[in-house]
Amino acid sequence: MEFQFSSDQLAIRDAVAKFLSEEWDLSERRRALDDGPVKVSDALWQQVVDMGWIGIAVSEDKGGSGLELLTSAMLVEEAAQVLFPSRLCSALASAYALDQCGGDSMPKLLGSHMTGQHFVSLAMDEANGDYGPENNSTRATMSGDEGVISGQKILVPDADVADHFLVASRLGDKGVLIKVAADAPGLTITPMERIDAQCVSELELKDVAFSTEDILGDADEAEAVLQRTYEFWTTLISADLLGVTTTALQMTNAYAKERHQFNRPIGSFQAVSHRLADVKMDEEVGRSLLYGACLALQERPDESSPQVSAAKAWLSDAATRATEAALQLHGGIGYTWELDVHLLLRQARSNAVYLGDADYHRKRIGAYLAEQLKSSAAGVSN
Amino acid sequence: MDLSFSEQDEAYRQKLRDWIAGNKDLATRTMKGIDDKGDRNPIQAMRDWQRHLYEAGYVGMSWPKAYGGYECSLTEQVIVNEELARAHLPPTINTIGLTIVAPTLIQHGNEDQKKEHLKRILRGDDIWCQGFSEPGAGSDLASLRTAAVVEDDQFVVTGQKVWTSVGPIADRCVLLVRTDKDAPKREGITYLLVDMKSEGITVQPLRNAGGGSHFSEVFFDEVKVPRGNMVGELHGGWAIARSTLDNERSGLSGVVALENNFKKLLELVEAGTRSGKPALEDPQTLNQIAQYWIEIEGLRYLGYRTLSEQLKGQKPGPQASVGKLFSSKLRQAMAKSALEIAGPYAALTKKSPHVLNRGRWVAGFFDSLGYSIGGGTSEIMHNVIAERVLELPRSVED
Ligand SMILES: Cc1cc2nc3c(=O)[nH]c(=O)nc-3n(C[C@H](O)[C@H](O)[C@H](O)COP(=O)(O)OP(=O)(O)OC[C@H]3O[C@@H](n4cnc5c(N)ncnc54)[C@H](O)[C@@H]3O)c2cc1C
Repeated sequence: MEFQFSSDQLAIRDAVAKFLSEEWDLSERRRALDDGPVKVSDALWQQVVDMGWIGIAVSEDKGGSGLELLTSAMLVEEAAQVLFPSRLCSALASAYALDQCGGDSMPKLLGSHMTGQHFVSLAMDEANGDYGPENNSTRATMSGDEGVISGQKILVPDADVADHFLVASRLGDKGVLIKVAADAPGLTITPMERIDAQCVSELELKDVAFSTEDILGDADEAEAVLQRTYEFWTTLISADLLGVTTTALQMTNAYAKERHQFNRPIGSFQAVSHRLADVKMDEEVGRSLLYGACLALQERPDESSPQVSAAKAWLSDAATRATEAALQLHGGIGYTWELDVHLLLRQARSNAVYLGDADYHRKRIGAYLAEQLKSSAAGVSN
Repeated sequence: MDLSFSEQDEAYRQKLRDWIAGNKDLATRTMKGIDDKGDRNPIQAMRDWQRHLYEAGYVGMSWPKAYGGYECSLTEQVIVNEELARAHLPPTINTIGLTIVAPTLIQHGNEDQKKEHLKRILRGDDIWCQGFSEPGAGSDLASLRTAAVVEDDQFVVTGQKVWTSVGPIADRCVLLVRTDKDAPKREGITYLLVDMKSEGITVQPLRNAGGGSHFSEVFFDEVKVPRGNMVGELHGGWAIARSTLDNERSGLSGVVALENNFKKLLELVEAGTRSGKPALEDPQTLNQIAQYWIEIEGLRYLGYRTLSEQLKGQKPGPQASVGKLFSSKLRQAMAKSALEIAGPYAALTKKSPHVLNRGRWVAGFFDSLGYSIGGGTSEIMHNVIAERVLELPRSVED
C-alpha cells in the first residue's frame, strides 16, 4: 500500500516545477486579459512536446511513457500553479482518448499529437443548460459507414491551434466521441471570451460529415471511451483547481506574515489565520480526493465516476473559497488589477463550472447512492 | 500509488472475518453487559471482550512483541480497525490507554514502565484516563496548577482535574502536574502515571449535556506517587504531553465510525419523507447526502496519505489536526441532517411514544457536539494548523 508520490514522481514534479517557473510567468495572464486569449508560443510548446509531457500517460506501445494517470494530474497541478495555459490540459485529455483506440488512424494521429505536428482538442460542454455527456444534444446520424453531426459545443479549448476536435455526440441511444477536422465543411468556429483569458470557442456543427473510422473506439467500446475521457478530463480540471488553490494559499500565507497592522503581522489575527487554516484543510481534503479519483480511474475506469465527481465537486467549491479568501485577506491591494490574486480567482471560477459544476457532480453521486440503496434492497428481497 | 492489499493481507482479513463470525454470541453478550462469568456487569463484560480480542491477536498489532504486542504491519492494523468497525462489534473499552497512553509510553517511557503497563493496557486489565484539563487550564493547558512536591522518592500531588473521561471507572491516570512554580509555564510540568486507587483521590462523576456521565472531576489531596512513575525528566512533561496530544488527534478522525453513521443516515433517508415525498426523491436532501459522502471519501484518502507517511516511519504531527477539525465538523453536520430528516420525531426523548430508533439520532447529535471540544477545541485546531502547519505568527503571546 502506497498513497503518496513515488520518488520518481517527485523527481518529475520537481523538474516540471523548475521548468515552468523559468519559462512561464503567472502575470502573463494579465496581459492576455486585455490583448486576447493567453497563448503558448510555438517554441515553448515544442519544448513541452520534446520533454515528452503529452505522452506521459500514453501506453508505451503507442509511443508514450505509460506512467500512471496520477502523473498527468500532477503535471496539470504544477502548470495551474503558475497559470500555464489550458493547452497542456487539453493535450493530455485528447491523448488519453486517442490512446483508448486500436486500428490504424487513431494511433497515428496520437503519434503526431504527441510530437506536436498536430493538435487535437475536445468538445464536450454545451449550452443546453445541463452538464455531462449523457445530457448532450449534439446528434450524429448514420447510414451505412457515413454520417453527419449537428449541434453546438461551447467552451471548446485551444481551437486556435487545433486541427482536429473530438466531439461528444449522441449516436442512436449512445454517446460517442467523433473526430472532426477543424476545416471540415459545415463547422463554424467562433471565439468566446472567458473571464480567465483562456482560449475557448464555440463550435457550430451543421451536417458535418464523418465516417465509421472517425468514431473513437469499436462499436462496443465507443461509449466507454467517451465516458472515460470525460472522467479523465474532469479529473485534470480538478487538478487544475487544486493547483490554483495551492498558489492562492501560498501567496496569502506569505502576505499574512509580512503585512503588519496594529504593530503585528496580520497573520496573528485569528480572523485571518483561521480562514487560512480552513483553506489549508480544504486543500488537504481536495488533494486526497484528487489522488482517490486518479487511483479509481487507473484501476476501475468504468466505475470511477463517484470518485471523479467527489474530487471535482469538492475542488470546485474549495478553489472558489481559497481564491476569494486570498482576495479578501490582501485587503485593498487584493482588489487591484496589478495583484495576481484576481487572475487565480478567474481561473478557479471558470473551471468550477467547467465539465460539470459542484451541483452536477453531487447529483451524480446522489444517483449512485440511490442506485446502491436500490440494489442492496433488491439483494435483501432476493 | 497503490491502495491494494497484498495476498497475505487479504488472507489475514479472511482469518479475522472467520474469527468475527465465530464470536457473534460473545459480541452480543458483551453488548448486553454480560461478563464471562455470566453476571450482568457491563464494565467487566467490556474488559472481558477486550481480553478475548487481544488473545485472538487483534489488539496492539503494531506494538513491540517484548511488551505484549504482535509486531504486525500497519496495514494489518488498518484491516483490523476496518473490519471490527464494519462488523458493528463492541468497541475496546480502553481507548485512552490504547491510543494515547501506550504510544506515549512506547516513545518516552522507561523499560520498567513499558513492562509494567503495556500488556495490561492491551488486555483491558487497566482502564486509563487522561488527567490534563483543569478548571483554570483547558485550551491553555500549560497554565495548569495541580501541584506535585518532590519528597524523597515520591511526589505528593494536590489539586483538581476536570472533564476526565472514564474517570469513574479508570484504574490509572496519565497526569500532568506542576513541579516548578517559578519556571516559565512550559518548563515546570512533569508527566506522571498514577494509580487511581491511591489514597487521597476522589472522583466525582459529571453529567454531560446529553445526559450521560462518562466524564468526571478528579480531586487530588496529598496523593503519593512513586518517583518511578515519572515519564521522562523532571519538569520535562510538556513535550511529552504534546506528543500525546498529536497521537490523540490522529486517532480522532474515525473514518469507519463515520461510514457507519453515514449508512444509518442513508437508511433514515430511505425511510423518511421531505415535504410529503420520499426523502430520496428530494434533490436538496440528495445533494446534502452526496456532500457527506464526498467528505467521508476525503477523510478516508487523507487517512491513507497519513498512513503512507507512517509506513515510512514518520510520526503523526500537527497535520493530524486537519483530520480532527474536519471530521468533527462533518460528524456534527451529519447529526444535524439526521435530525432534520427525522422531522417532528427529532424532539422526542428515547422513552417517548413515536420516538425513532430509540432516540439514537438525538443521542448522536449530543454526542457529536463533544467532538469539537474534547481533545482540543476546533478553535485550537485552527490555531495549530495556522501556527504549526502554515507557520503563521502566534495569535496569543504567552
Ligand atoms: C467529551 C469531552 C471529553 C473530554 N475528555 C477529557 C479527558 O479525558 N481528559 C482531559 O484532560 N480533558 C478532557 N476534556 C476537556 C477538553 O480537553 C477541554 O474542554 C478543552 O481543551 C477546552 O478547554 P476548556 O473546557 O477549559 O475551555 P476553554 O479553554 O475555556 O475555552 C472556551 C472557549 O474559548 C475558546 N478559546 C480558548 N482559547 C482560545 C484561543 N487561544 N483562540 C481561540 N479560541 C480560544 C475555546 O475554543 C472555547 O470555544 C474533554 C472534553 C469533552 C467535551
